[in-house]
Amino acid sequence: MMNATIELNGLEVQLGNRTILHGLTGVLKSRAIGLLGPNGAGKSTLINTLLGFHSPSKGSARVLGLDSHANGNALRSLVGYMPENEAFISKMSGVRFVRYMAEISGLPPDQAMERAHEAFVYVGLGEARYRPVGTYSLGMKQLAKLAQAIAHGPKLLILDEPTNGMDPPARKRLIELIREIREASDICLLLSSHLLHDVEETCDEVLILRNGQIASICNLAEERRANRKFLELETIGAQATFTSTLESLGCECAVFSNGRIKVVMPDSVEIREVFKVAADRGVQIRRMNHRRDSLEDIFLNAMEQTGAADGRI
Amino acid sequence: MAVYKRRYNPYGGTLTPQWSRFFVLTRYAFAELFKSRFFVILLILSLVPILFFAGYIFVANNKTVQLLMQMRSAGLFSVENEYFIMIMVAQTQVAFLLNCWVGPVLIAGDLTNGALPLFLSRPFSRADYVLGKLAALGLLLSAVTWIPGLLLFSLQAGLARNGWIWSHMWMVVPIIFCSAIWILMLSLISLAVSASVKLRIVATGVIFISFFIPAGLGEMYNSIMGSYWGRLLNFTEMFRLILAKGFRERTGLLGPLSRNEIPVPAAWGVLILVCVLSVVILNARLKAREVVRG
Repeated sequence: MMNATIELNGLEVQLGNRTILHGLTGVLKSRAIGLLGPNGAGKSTLINTLLGFHSPSKGSARVLGLDSHANGNALRSLVGYMPENEAFISKMSGVRFVRYMAEISGLPPDQAMERAHEAFVYVGLGEARYRPVGTYSLGMKQLAKLAQAIAHGPKLLILDEPTNGMDPPARKRLIELIREIREASDICLLLSSHLLHDVEETCDEVLILRNGQIASICNLAEERRANRKFLELETIGAQATFTSTLESLGCECAVFSNGRIKVVMPDSVEIREVFKVAADRGVQIRRMNHRRDSLEDIFLNAMEQTGAADGRI
Repeated sequence: MAVYKRRYNPYGGTLTPQWSRFFVLTRYAFAELFKSRFFVILLILSLVPILFFAGYIFVANNKTVQLLMQMRSAGLFSVENEYFIMIMVAQTQVAFLLNCWVGPVLIAGDLTNGALPLFLSRPFSRADYVLGKLAALGLLLSAVTWIPGLLLFSLQAGLARNGWIWSHMWMVVPIIFCSAIWILMLSLISLAVSASVKLRIVATGVIFISFFIPAGLGEMYNSIMGSYWGRLLNFTEMFRLILAKGFRERTGLLGPLSRNEIPVPAAWGVLILVCVLSVVILNARLKAREVVRG
């Protein structure tokens, strides 16, 4: 049985007198997990709690099988963290900064130096590695933060709003890098972002937070599979015989006005069979939309559901 | 993740022992400090008095040189506890100045651009962080206080012979312990200020103020209340009181200390209290995240 990447057991976190996270319960098993939610939903607080920066007032959180509070040190030795806000030492050169961080993670100085160079070249800052980090552009600083997060070879990469303030080409490059990192090794990923597209491109599972509560936990991979054969058709011709033939093949059909039909097909039926049936029955297919629920649909749906606890969509 | 492969690979090599990682901060702090020419000059100047003290010890133990200088007279050159008090007073003041230059940048540089979460998101605690920075200051200030103090003691012991070392061995303890409390207090105050004030010049000013303002307030209290307990707020005087007691000084060399109204345990208590207050400030300032209370 696959171990959970993140396991939340009634996690409650209070900062001052305010309860920020209200008894979160859920299990996230995928290697790439997205963290979504509007401002103030508790995303950063959850990340900080997983890193052991905040102590839970109730419940617990386990990451890679380790309790975030009781095994904080052991857990942090497995983590690479890219914070949301500015985080660098401005007077240090980029490569020295990354080497410094790698050494604090426990790499010997020569190994840290080698990995720092590699990480810098890998994120595409090879030419700028000897410049002080303070002179970097915003996009370069984001990449430098990513370099320090991966230099020591973590098992879990936590990225808090990694594409903040980046222009579209830089954002695309960073997303590609994140996907490459995910695919090139068995590293796990926790990505918090306001940009649904970023999460959709990089993650398999999404935890949606709202007002410090879990609005939804959604396995994107399963959703994609479930919606794989959901067709919207606009037809002209004998709809009744067309739909009845499709239903005899195992499809579920819903007929609407103006020749619009929605068809959910079982795995055994291919799209070309729909065309074949239409041709046999003399039905013209004027428009076909092969669509699945986007993450935006899932997110908006979760936001609409008030008080949704740990239900799967 | 080799450069030529341009792909990510996890790290599978050895790791350094966790207990030793605080020293990475110390090493990097020294590397940054020694980049500054001003700091190197300041450090060299801090060690210049040691040469004069060593020269004095050499002359005091060399009758030929005394004859050449026509200064041979019984008791003119004496290297006893008073001499080592003088060395310690001079070098602890040098340490104070050095600390005022070095201390303010140690933590402020990490806090200015929010680098602290990067340290604390690793297997590295806040205690490790403070220990690493404290070690940088501690080693630096040791290099101008008790280490040269012990070297001068050894020089004197080597030149004096006749069992001088055995009759004066007790002085090793105050050389080390008096320096240690002074270094600890200075370092913690500096780190607390560095964690609270980002601008170096302001932080240096705050360190000076933290010594002189309480002393002034203490004197005001004494004048108004006709007391002497206000001297407890004069940290330098409290240190000298401990120094005089440690070196068994009874001749009034350290001026006001000859009055000795303040008990030595109270002086120790004040210095330890200052250290504790500095740790409390550090604890409040060094957070991986700002917590907004509401």
